[in-house]
Order: sequence, then structure tokens, then C-alpha cells
Amino acid sequence: MNVRSEFRLGFIALNDCAPLVIAKEKGFFEDQGLTVDLSREASWANIRDKVAMGALDGAHMLGPLPIAVNLGVSGEPTPMIAPMSLNLNGSAITVSAALADAMRTADPKGMAARPRSASPLAKVVAERREAGLPPLVFAVVFPFSVHNYQVRYWMAAAGIDPDRDVRITAVPPARMNARLAAGDIDGFCVGAPWNAQAVADGVGEIMIYASEFWRVGPDKVFGVTERWAEQHPDPLQALLRALIQAAAWCDEPGNRGELAAILAHARYIDAPQETVAHSLVGSPPYARGEPGPDSLDYIIYHRYAASFPWRSHAVWFLTQMLRWGQIGPEVDIAAAAERAYRPDLFRIAAADLGAPTPIVDEKVEGLHSAPWMLDEASAPIPMAPDTFFDGRTFDAAQPQRYAADFQIGRFGR
Amino acid sequence: MKVLIIDPDEARAALVAEGLVDVRPLEVRRVASFEDVEATLATIAPDVIVIACDSPDRDVLESLRDSTEANPRPVVMFVDRSSPGLAEAAVEAGVAAYVVDGLSSGRVRSVLEVAMSRFELMQKLRTDLAKAKADLASRKAIERAKGLLMKERGIDEEQAYAILRKLAMDAGRSIGAVANDLLTFAGVLKGGTK
Repeated sequence: MNVRSEFRLGFIALNDCAPLVIAKEKGFFEDQGLTVDLSREASWANIRDKVAMGALDGAHMLGPLPIAVNLGVSGEPTPMIAPMSLNLNGSAITVSAALADAMRTADPKGMAARPRSASPLAKVVAERREAGLPPLVFAVVFPFSVHNYQVRYWMAAAGIDPDRDVRITAVPPARMNARLAAGDIDGFCVGAPWNAQAVADGVGEIMIYASEFWRVGPDKVFGVTERWAEQHPDPLQALLRALIQAAAWCDEPGNRGELAAILAHARYIDAPQETVAHSLVGSPPYARGEPGPDSLDYIIYHRYAASFPWRSHAVWFLTQMLRWGQIGPEVDIAAAAERAYRPDLFRIAAADLGAPTPIVDEKVEGLHSAPWMLDEASAPIPMAPDTFFDGRTFDAAQPQRYAADFQIGRFGR
Repeated sequence: MKVLIIDPDEARAALVAEGLVDVRPLEVRRVASFEDVEATLATIAPDVIVIACDSPDRDVLESLRDSTEANPRPVVMFVDRSSPGLAEAAVEAGVAAYVVDGLSSGRVRSVLEVAMSRFELMQKLRTDLAKAKADLASRKAIERAKGLLMKERGIDEEQAYAILRKLAMDAGRSIGAVANDLLTFAGVLKGGTK
């Protein structure tokens, strides 16, 4: 029925748009008989609306975005799906140089620890309250983002209530550092390369990487509308095959340097190549003179079944939406996760490529502190440790219990 | 009408002002970026915000709408001509808040008015939904409080309801609120709350 082979996909200037960029630049789209036009968009709201209205065929999206759109809590409700994940990890929490100094004075021992908890921040928050100073301001890029949930979770684990003790606002990624330097905000949580940029510019210090917060935490997905997927089954599979191959290319250690050069280009991220590379060929420095670990897991595109759209990732996002009052207790979490995340569509593409794929839709998170093998797959898949910094475990079969189990939150208790 | 335009393009702001020339009183303020008014938004209190579709500040406005402290405002967007079909699709989808770039000044007023009335309608729907949820919660509390009274005092449902109604009338509060208090105190007496 549909013989279209030209498509328009949207992206935001971040390191995790890499599979889209590489699929185009390295000819993976072309190999599948597709002509793809990549369109850099200025905001997640714009991505959402353009995909919803058909001005874009699909896009780089925040993992929680299709879920939120389906539930009618972000924009006009339009059924959207995520048939593939684009990456794990990649973001970090950064604070201004001044706040980092205040945290060191308040709690030198806490500031020497890795992964770093928010305890030093809690002490500064308490001191400021006693001194009658206004609350600290932290920025994220969008309300429905892993970054919003990471910064809230991290703070709350140290007793800081993110709704009462600090102010959380939104700032576009590319403007984060200018606002941090100007003192308008005291910290932020955003994807690469902007944390590395803050350190390079000397305006901020990284407190904790996403890969330390949760060693294999979900982040971006490839999203289309449910309707588009139904009307274009073959092109969707061709796009997924190209994107899976591109993600595998991005994770080859020898390709990371070239990936940085391509992404840094004015057409894509438009940032210094060195800054983009910091988050790709290893981990960015925490601060000037404090290098990060030499690991490619700061951002993961393909290894450890990273491209697979785990339903348990969708359920985790939903537990955080519930925890912070973005959705009410009436939401059917399992149904919402099933509708948005589509491992069934991913498996078809992976099988066509002969790539090993999980045969389960969910996994329990936080159980493995060492590398392990996923045997519930078409062929065993090597997996990375999956622990959270606070040692919790997450079972997608018990979302309400998990969401209510936190000391600080707007749900349960 | 107070209009806040977030757009580095002065020409588009001029177009909006031209289209609203008959509106009295009228206050149009243009800023290049949301940062320029972030601290003073509450004092400006615009009736409607006009923003370029391709402005990164759209995500900032979305997050404001989600936060309870900020007063939500209807938002109208200019769509770039490079997105063919977007404005038409938007109208079809019921998103009145999209305006085609290069639109004639004569239509500006009606587009802003449609956006404002649609926004009010959505706000009303949200308030109604919140009220419906609260009513449901209140009905549940009354049922539970009645059940508790019936069990503890060995009375029938009608008598239990009469007690709640009298308590409410004496206290000058709603039956739902009185039922909630009763349940809370019963929980404390049973040692259910620390």
C-alpha cells in the first residue's frame, strides 16, 4: 500500500541523537532503501507536536515522553510508541563552582565520596534555610525526562524535598551553562555534552553521572505515533534495522572518536569536538584536574541489550511520575507501559539482522553488582552491572509498592 | 489585552500589534527570550503568550504550566514556513494555538481570542475533573465513616448518616470533611497513626 521511502526524523542537539545521525552519515538508512532527512528541533515540545501532527515521521524522544502523551498529561493526547531505545546513561548532575565550594566546606567527607550522595547539598540547603536565604534553583530540560527524575531521586535520597527545599525549573540544554555562569541557576541535570562543557568552561563541577546513579539507566528512545506505525509497517522495520546497526557502530570503541567529530558538526550538536568527545571516549572530568573513570559506559548505545525497549524502563518512569504527582493513582501502569514501549516491534527488526534479542519484556533492576549473562534471550547477551547508587532494587511487577516506598514523594504513605 | 511575545523577530511582533490595533486597552511586550521576563512574569500577568514554534523556550513554558505556583497562560505559536502542513494539521487536530508565519494581521485578533477561549475551556475541564475526583473521595469517606459508626454503635445506616449530618451542621463543615476527621481520629485511637 505505502511505497514512500523518504522520511523526516527530528532530533535535539545531544550526544544521544547519535544513532539517527550515524544511520544517515554512514549509509545505514540508504542500505535499507530509505532516504532520511534529519531535522534539528529546538524543543521537546516541538518534537512532540510535530510527530503528533505528522510534520515529522518519527523522532529522538525522551523515554517518558510517549508515555506522558498517551496519558494526556503532555500536549494533545495522541497515541505514541517507542519501538527502540537510543541509549542508556549519558547525563549527569552538575552544580556551580560556588555551590561545589560551599558543599566542600559544609561536608568535606561527603564530597570525597563516589558515587556522591546529595548529603553535602542537604547541609548547604539547611544552612541557607537557617540564614534566611532563598532556595537553590536546579534546572532540567523537560518535566517528563529521566533528568527530572534523577535529580529529584538523588536529592530526596539525602532528605531534600525537591518540591519544597529547592526550586526546579526548566532551561533549554544549550543554554544551561550560560545560566549557570550567570548565577541564575545553581545546578542542573542534562544529557551530554553539556556537563562536560560546564567543567571545561570552569563554571561547574559534576556531582554524579547517570552511570553512577543507576549503572544502566534508560534515557532516550526512538518514537513514532501508533497510527504511523500501523500505516507504515515496512518502513518502520527498515528504520529500526538501520538504527540498530547505527547504534552498534556507535558503541564500537574504535568509532567513538569519529563519532565525536561527526556529532560536533554545526548541522548536529554544534559544539567543540573536544567537549563532545569527553563524554564518548571515556567519562568527562568531574572537575578541572579531577578526571573521570576511563569507561565507555558513560553513555551506552548498543551493548548490554541497550537498544531493546524494556517495558520495565517504562514502568520505572511511570513510578517516578506517580511519585512526584505528575499522574494520579488511577493510572493503570502496566497498560500504559505496554501501550508505549513496543519490544514486539523491536524483536522483528533484530531477528531480521540476526542480532540476539531478549525474549522477556521486563527485568528486575538493581540485582547485579557484577557483569552477568542474560539467558532469557535468543542467544545469551552479556549484561552490565545494574545497581542504583542507593542500593535499591526495582521490580516492575510491583510499581505502586515501589513508588510508595520512598520517604519523600507525593504518593502513598 | 496584555500580550507577551517571546520571539527574537521584531517583524512578527509588529504584525501582532498591528492586528490588535482596535483592542483597548492593549499592552504588547516583546522579549527575545523567556529569560528576559522570567523573574517578572507574575507582575506582567499576560492574558496570552505568543511564541515562535522553533523557540527553545517552549519547553520552559511547558514546565511552567506543570508547576502549581505559576499561573498558567494560553500560549499561541508561530509555525515556521519550513514545516509544510503543520499549521493545517494543527487546526485539524484541534490545536487552535498554532498560527502560520506570515499570516495577515487581520486574523491575529481572532486567533488570539480562539486560543484564549479554548484555554479557558481546558482549564474548566481540568477543574471539573479535579472536583469530580474530590467528590468521589468524599463519598468514599462518608461510606467508610458510616460503616464505622454502624459497627461501633450498633446502629443502622440511616442513623449513622444522621449523626454525621448533625456533626457537619454543628461544625458548619461539609459531611465529607467531618467523615474524614472521624476516620482520622478512629485511626489514632486504634493506634494506626504514630
